[in-house]
Amino acid sequence: MKLCKAVFLVTSAIIAMLAPAVLHAQDATAQMLVHPPADSWPSYHGDYSGRRHSALTQITPQNVKNLSLAWAFQTNQTATIKSSPLLVDGVLYFTVPDNIWAVDARSGHQIWRYTYPPSKGEYIGQRGVAIYKGYLYFMTPDAHLVSLNAKNGKVRWKVTVGDVNKGYWSTMAPLVVGNHVLVGVGGDLDNITGYLRAVDPDTGATQWQWDSTPPAGTPNQTTGGMTWITGTYDPDLNLIYWGTGNPTPVLNGAARPGDDLYTCSIVALHADTGQLAWAFQPAPHDTHDWDAVQIPVLVDGDFHGEPKKMLMQASRNGYFFVLDRTNGKNLLTVPFGPVNWATGIDAKGQPIPDPAKEPAPDGRLIAPDEGGLTNYRSPSFDTKTGLFIVSAHPAWSLYFTKPADGTYGWAGADYTVWGKGVIEAIDYQTGKIRWSHEIGGESGAGVLTTDSGLAFTGDSHGNVLALDSSDGKTLWHAGSGASSQSSPITYVLDGRQFVLTSSGSVMFAWALPEAQ
Amino acid sequence: MDRLEKLFCLHWSRSLRWGALLGGVIALPSLAAAQAMAAPPAKPATAVSKPAARVSAPAHRVYPEALVEAGESNFRQACAFCHGRGADGGEGGPDLTQSKLVAEDVDGDKIGGVVRKGRTDKGMPPFDYSDAKIASLAAFIHTRKYLAESKPGGRKGVAVADLQTGNLAAGRQYFVGAGGCANCHSATGDLSGIATRYEGLALEQRMLYPNSAKASVTVTRAGQTTIGTLAYLDEFTLALTDSKGVYHSWRTSDVQYKVDAPANAHIEQLPKYTDADVHNLMAYLQSLR
Repeated sequence: MKLCKAVFLVTSAIIAMLAPAVLHAQDATAQMLVHPPADSWPSYHGDYSGRRHSALTQITPQNVKNLSLAWAFQTNQTATIKSSPLLVDGVLYFTVPDNIWAVDARSGHQIWRYTYPPSKGEYIGQRGVAIYKGYLYFMTPDAHLVSLNAKNGKVRWKVTVGDVNKGYWSTMAPLVVGNHVLVGVGGDLDNITGYLRAVDPDTGATQWQWDSTPPAGTPNQTTGGMTWITGTYDPDLNLIYWGTGNPTPVLNGAARPGDDLYTCSIVALHADTGQLAWAFQPAPHDTHDWDAVQIPVLVDGDFHGEPKKMLMQASRNGYFFVLDRTNGKNLLTVPFGPVNWATGIDAKGQPIPDPAKEPAPDGRLIAPDEGGLTNYRSPSFDTKTGLFIVSAHPAWSLYFTKPADGTYGWAGADYTVWGKGVIEAIDYQTGKIRWSHEIGGESGAGVLTTDSGLAFTGDSHGNVLALDSSDGKTLWHAGSGASSQSSPITYVLDGRQFVLTSSGSVMFAWALPEAQ
Repeated sequence: MDRLEKLFCLHWSRSLRWGALLGGVIALPSLAAAQAMAAPPAKPATAVSKPAARVSAPAHRVYPEALVEAGESNFRQACAFCHGRGADGGEGGPDLTQSKLVAEDVDGDKIGGVVRKGRTDKGMPPFDYSDAKIASLAAFIHTRKYLAESKPGGRKGVAVADLQTGNLAAGRQYFVGAGGCANCHSATGDLSGIATRYEGLALEQRMLYPNSAKASVTVTRAGQTTIGTLAYLDEFTLALTDSKGVYHSWRTSDVQYKVDAPANAHIEQLPKYTDADVHNLMAYLQSLR
């Protein structure tokens, strides 16, 4: 009996040893995307919540001073890396416009590279790919969706998402939810309709499309509402949350009276149908290019003594919002820096735009500037401290529009007068700023927090920073030679925790020194 | 507004406290503001031109259609997002059809330099483009400039004439009174003839915040003091250029330093202006010829 047990135990141990080798190949299934393992980062935000927070604790406030370079990957491109890498099965995937690299996450060497032919599209940036069951999904400057075999970068199919000749482009990383690949578009230079589309992961066929605004040419109605940043998803409610872009014409609001729904909005859509469940508008009748595409961060927790399913957004227009994500009801609206364009907050919790602060022929002095109090860079919600940490950009600017500027596209001009960059830690229950950390000018680096109490980000001078997430104090830094335009990720491989940051056209992997 | 002001005050006082924690900082009126001095300046005005030195546009040149088309395609790919599809201004980028540099450019001899070097301090990356690609971009931009200037109904963007809505007397009053401008400036001293040196939007931007203003810094290490013009400052490194033009740098943790950035008063004024104040003050400065 004892022998039997011993044999059983040994056999179990052997199976346990073999099992990881046999089962090692990860498959980015719907289930895996809901519960990503620690040795993966399988979607833009790492998981569906948009918190960009990791449970990893190997790198701590105590040992982070020893953090050093594990490897660097040179894209040798003039284009800046703006993508958040994905990691599945030990392979990283990141991009610049027209380019995908598959890179070994252990060593940083290239496995394959894919290039898309040059197009008439917009090359302002590329934010990364999505993965599902062994295939990648990649948006191109001319608004096509390309599906490729993750093993070798071979194209499976390509479909048109937007008409480049009408002015559509795409920069976003798709989001896979269940059996849907969610893709969005950009297109601020023309008066065209924004939309979010669900595509069949196997065939590329359109499953549903939700339009942000009425068809172009509808009298007195806005266009715009682009969908250029990856949203989030609540599997329990089966709702996807997405921010929409600014209205067009951009700076001239006279041609599109009213709130301009659903531009500058946070929308909740039923994942399987695209039907609107609710909408909240951070910037009604925007005339300052303050889209509301910033990450809708999903947090479950206490709000003034009550358990809530919340959605938080630090919005480009300068306000921090907390919503009940089951119904879109507002819980908190507070500015997180200088704003001077609203006369108050309405009953729904939405700022009321001041008509006197719309752009004018002789100029209006406005805070924030067009780049906004924050922008595309991801914030992080630190579950440990309950702090919402965001790279902010307090700024003042001049906004102009006059009849000669017309009613098409930009339709005005604006100029930043002064601005700076600050990492801010916001108490989500009050909106109070618990700590702030000066970073020089505006930084494009997002924020990543970890359970050990660290916040990784970057300043405008090109320093990669590790801050104590409880007080914002710098614990480690490294000059990287260029400022970052992407959001950090982290993962563990072979028992070693890596943090990835990009600067300029280079991807850096940081880790604690290996035991010799 | 009360709540906002409170928030902002809190924000600044915390900045100071963290600044103090950086170590070695004895007197720091505002690390934040000092850093901002060393940070990349804000977006530029389109037309920093002296009226007397304004260069008139060269006679219209007709470029080969294929070259303009190639230029349009190249422009659309790399430039249109910021400068607008018609090169007439857009998100963050100035209107190139009203640019002084474009007016002075001949076949890309000036445009090429900017494209290849970038203006990284203003957010424009460098582009490693061939001569042929530069030539196509120049052809497209010059063609757009001609079209924009030929179009009836006034120009897009900000003209000097647009910035004449203020009241001169009220502006003078603001200058000596509520604005506090006279604490540092004088109409017969440093600002004498300012309107002959700057005009329009460039003057207004400079009035609100002078990007090119220098800050001085006093650095003390082991009892030795060095004074100079602030050349670089981040959280970790401080540098100055001394009176002989020599660059010196230190770790911020090794020294005590004091930054004197008079232009910071402009930052403190920004939340206090009404739009009328801005226009009135502009009217007054435009009278200083």
